Amino acid sequence: MGALRIGIDIGGTFTDAALVDGDTGAIRVVKVLTTPEDPAQGFMAALERGLAECQAGGGDVAAVVHATTVATNAIIEGTTARVGMLVTRGFRDILEIGRQIRSRLYDVHLQKPLPLVPRRWSVEIGERLDHEGRVLQPLDLEEARRAVQQLARERVEAVVVCLLHSYLNPAHERAVAALVREIMPDAYLSVSSDVCPEYREYLRASTTAVNAAVMPIVSRYVDALEQRLQALGAAAPFYVMQSNGGVMTAASAKARPVYMVESGPAAGVIAAGAIAAPYDHRNVMSFDMGGTTAKVGLIQDGRLRLSTEIEVGAQAVTPLGEGRGGGYPVRTPVIDLVEVGAGGGSEAWIDAGGALRVGPRSAGARPGPACYGRGGATPTITDANLALGRLNPAFFLGGEMALDAEAARRAIAERIATPLALDPLAAAAGIVEIANAHMIGAMRLVSVQRGYDPRQFVLVAFGGAGPLHANALARELGIPAVLVPPNPGIASAVGMLMTDLRHEFVTTRRLPLDTLTPAALESLFAEFAREGQARLTRDGVPPADRRLLRSVDLRYHGQSFELSIPVPAGALTADDVARLRAEFDAAHERAYGYAAPEDAVELVNVRLAAIGVTPRPRRAPLGQGTRDVRGALKGQREVWFAEVRGWRKTDVLDRTKLLRGNVVAGPAIVEEHDASTLVHPDWQATVDEHGNLVLRAAG
Amino acid sequence: MSTIPTRALAADIDPVRFEVIRNALLAITEEMGATLRRAAYSTNIKTRGDFSCAFFDRDLRTIAQAFAQPSHLGSLAHIVPRAIQTYGAERLAPGDGILINDPYLGGVHLNDITLITPVFHDGALLGYVANIAHHVDVGGGAPGSIGVSSEIYQEGLVIPPVRFVKGGQIDADIFALIRSNFRGTREISGDFRAQTAANRLGAQRIGELMAQHGAATLAQYLDELLRYTERRTRAAFAEFPDGRFAAEMFMDGDGVSDEPVKLAAVVTIESGRVSVDLTGCDDQRPSPTNATSSQAYSGVVYVLKCLIDPDIPVNDGFYRLIDIRSRPGSVVHAQHPAAVAAGWEVAMQICDLLFRALAEALPERVVAGTKGCVCNIAFGGISPSSGEYFTYYETIAGGYGATLRTDGMDAVQAHFQNTENAPVEETEANYPVRILRYALIDDSEGAGRHRGGLGVRRDYAFPGHAPSFSILSDKARFAPWGLFGGEAARPAKYVLNPETDHARELPSKITFQLAPGDVVSVQTPGGGGTRSPLERPADGVVRDVALGKISAARARAVYGVVVDPATGALDAAASAAERARRA
Repeated sequence: MGALRIGIDIGGTFTDAALVDGDTGAIRVVKVLTTPEDPAQGFMAALERGLAECQAGGGDVAAVVHATTVATNAIIEGTTARVGMLVTRGFRDILEIGRQIRSRLYDVHLQKPLPLVPRRWSVEIGERLDHEGRVLQPLDLEEARRAVQQLARERVEAVVVCLLHSYLNPAHERAVAALVREIMPDAYLSVSSDVCPEYREYLRASTTAVNAAVMPIVSRYVDALEQRLQALGAAAPFYVMQSNGGVMTAASAKARPVYMVESGPAAGVIAAGAIAAPYDHRNVMSFDMGGTTAKVGLIQDGRLRLSTEIEVGAQAVTPLGEGRGGGYPVRTPVIDLVEVGAGGGSEAWIDAGGALRVGPRSAGARPGPACYGRGGATPTITDANLALGRLNPAFFLGGEMALDAEAARRAIAERIATPLALDPLAAAAGIVEIANAHMIGAMRLVSVQRGYDPRQFVLVAFGGAGPLHANALARELGIPAVLVPPNPGIASAVGMLMTDLRHEFVTTRRLPLDTLTPAALESLFAEFAREGQARLTRDGVPPADRRLLRSVDLRYHGQSFELSIPVPAGALTADDVARLRAEFDAAHERAYGYAAPEDAVELVNVRLAAIGVTPRPRRAPLGQGTRDVRGALKGQREVWFAEVRGWRKTDVLDRTKLLRGNVVAGPAIVEEHDASTLVHPDWQATVDEHGNLVLRAAG
Repeated sequence: MSTIPTRALAADIDPVRFEVIRNALLAITEEMGATLRRAAYSTNIKTRGDFSCAFFDRDLRTIAQAFAQPSHLGSLAHIVPRAIQTYGAERLAPGDGILINDPYLGGVHLNDITLITPVFHDGALLGYVANIAHHVDVGGGAPGSIGVSSEIYQEGLVIPPVRFVKGGQIDADIFALIRSNFRGTREISGDFRAQTAANRLGAQRIGELMAQHGAATLAQYLDELLRYTERRTRAAFAEFPDGRFAAEMFMDGDGVSDEPVKLAAVVTIESGRVSVDLTGCDDQRPSPTNATSSQAYSGVVYVLKCLIDPDIPVNDGFYRLIDIRSRPGSVVHAQHPAAVAAGWEVAMQICDLLFRALAEALPERVVAGTKGCVCNIAFGGISPSSGEYFTYYETIAGGYGATLRTDGMDAVQAHFQNTENAPVEETEANYPVRILRYALIDDSEGAGRHRGGLGVRRDYAFPGHAPSFSILSDKARFAPWGLFGGEAARPAKYVLNPETDHARELPSKITFQLAPGDVVSVQTPGGGGTRSPLERPADGVVRDVALGKISAARARAVYGVVVDPATGALDAAASAAERARRA
């Protein structure tokens, strides 16, 4: 047995651990119940059970990677730290005013989210820089000292320093930070020019405040886990998943917890990229459908698609921006995902106007879908799938939980079919079709809207319900191929082991691109490169495994949004700078439907990601078989297919018995412990050497 | 729910297909909006989201609409039919785009420019996609086209319905004509291209939907969608109590004369029919303080939408139930050649007014007086650094009104207005201005059991130059009111050189030339409260005192709550005595 790399993912119901043998690539998965009051308990339970099943001990652990929602939960539940903030005179209300918008337009009872810094702890200091970073008014150090002393008297736990235009000149912020360290040595400190050196003061202040607000809780949590790991004899590095799809060391997580606020779904997209990598697909769409929602993410031209801003603790924000202002904006790179309220537990209902609706309400785990037999009477997507024969009532979660197909049919008949005067099967098929329509909308949104055609993508489907719906979605959108990895239900935990160490650097430097010499551009990255190398050295990453990814955010002069364009590695030439311009025009054309080659281009932000490549788990190759799948055949059952408007006798196969090269002709269902993959008529699934099912149109 | 609903959709409608089409239509208008927003140049469209997108059927009925700004709720529904009727549907060809901003052909103020693109399928004209976007400047007498004027010709370029896009391409001649009339041509080009791109995408998507379902079937489902909306709207209105509910109010002067502008509304509810009579409003003024009928319509529609289930879609099935009467030639139904730059100010006040009128009928659903002004701020001139002409425009938040259940929010936009603020750092980097202060105004709330929100102060200085400055706002003379015994808020103040010995209060509507070194302080109103402030739980008052939002002196004087100045704690005995004394 080789050393184990372990990914631990804490979900709402289960805590999953994936243990990968570094030598063989063998993956072992354990699930334990999540312990919401003390998540570390479930973490250790999963870890210890996993090690026991592998007959291993703490000393066999090579690395632990962890995705946690502890930071996000603190914000949503309002259990953040006592935070004070030091600001430029005249601007104490940056967080109170926010964007001055309402997150719901027609709700006269709406309330704004409470600022993370109470107004009385937002203290003004005399100082002012202009928009080029020049000092208009020197820092009043005495006043700053009094302000810090005031916060010390108020016993705040964490201090935010956010002064106007500090992204250009951090001198005043650093001087104030030094005072905080002197007067409040035990306080957590979060300085805006350090955490988020970008312009737009509310976004920078909010990001820095979110960081400060979760620093104490994240530090305590990470410390506790490290201690328990040590007690177990596991001295291996402990990494925390970031929202940008990379991981960071425990020390970084404690200093910049804002980088982990949306890390949960990121691992799934990473997993999708890794699953599709052997296929040389440049464009990958990840499709993760679970119990309450479906999440769609993109990998374009081989790169993760990141957005630079999210709101933590907000309701869903529509493409037009309704819902903005309902949470706490955070300006860090975040894997770009679209989430729809369509999961297995999403309810079907009839609205006041007589229309059939699906979601976003979810039956959750309790009472759950009608077929769970726990008292749920409202039909869900899972009930519809069951009524159509697409799920096996005797083999849900590998048979751990029996489903009541009669209850599902009854719920659909009573609540949907009868009132709408529909045939019960048509009602069930309709529920699935409407759910699929929601997901197709999300997929269009992430692809077409951003200037891509879904037909250029491969779809990677996972989550408990993803493989059941993926084929129909691909057919509808014209996506040529669907990949379903083995154990689709735990793809995220495995995905965490496919991530790299990642340090992000960004700063705002507004410069006209056409006057920029290669040397000047190079120099903008120099300090980041040095600091990135230093951090990777501290992380113990050997030089051969380091990558520095440089990029610039560009826009046409006058625009207020930017596009990120990669800057090649190595010494830059005049050609490289000219190419940035051309690539920006092309990217703009793709994203927005037009380019303006005659307009001046402005550089806004300079970005560098310092990456420490970590070894990837490799699944042991599957044994070679023939096209013939009879060895894996479990039986047959009748399944309803909307496209033929009828039942079809459908092969049911045992995924664990499939071999490389097997070809499953649709209609077929491939069952495994945590998911079922549906292959539609006129489609087929081929088993590849990694055990993935590759679905394509037959013929 | 105990009762299981019975089938309400028409017998020949498949409920599944109905829902799929309904979702597709919404997704299309939202994708249009996302395209417009992402491709636009100007902060006003991109960051502040001042636009809306919609799909109309061949009979020019609104089918689906997506918007970030509810001010556009009613306007597109008015503009598109009138523009197409004026232009002539028979003259349209695939790839055309009709541009219009004429306030007297259905438009609103000149800055809001609409682009309409016909959708053809198999050679037949089957519908229209349209978007409306606020352009920062459309020419005229004041930078930002927001200023004190007395007739429409002073406010900028009036665009009747013209074919701006031919064969998918912007007409270079018309574009040149437009550009030479607007200040700041760079942003304009990007914004028009964004409007064109949004419609191109919308037309393509609608075409795909027609191909998928067949034009005839789609039309059948669109009819049902409108009936569905109408059914739900009727059911919602049917919950309202019958009666005749009236209110009136005054705006500050109109910008030319100091004579207050009277607005009056009578809402009649009769067995689920709601009609709004605005015929009691003053005659139109030779000033910018006039609303077109589209603007007044938008205000009314906004309030009605707030009163019903937010899940009810916005389309013709909703619009056609709204009955508004207004008098042509009045400030809510201006006739040519009235100026309309402050028309949204009028419409904003109509919203407050209708909520006040309906307070008796629907006490649980109304809000006390909000900041009640759009608060347009614009300035422009020659930039001292670049030598180029610049124009800046923004609107500033204020307090929101309290309801019987909730305090009003501090520092938000009100009613149909939901535009974001421009970050100070971005503003200072892009324009020759320095923001000296951007803060809540303490003690500006309307007191009450539930208090109104606080207003906002924003101070502008102009190092090294002196631009022309315009304020088109209101509420300096007539404060946002309280309801159900709640108190009024601090009114707005517009002050030149505040806290100096030459400080001077400015009217709420003015265009003037600054002198070097001048500072303009815009101080927006708070929101009104509900019920008596003496009923407010003491801990709520103590919390606001601790946060510095309400002074200890005001807590005692207005709320009867005594806070120990040393500890910030409640002096319960003193408070009880104070409240008992006044009860």
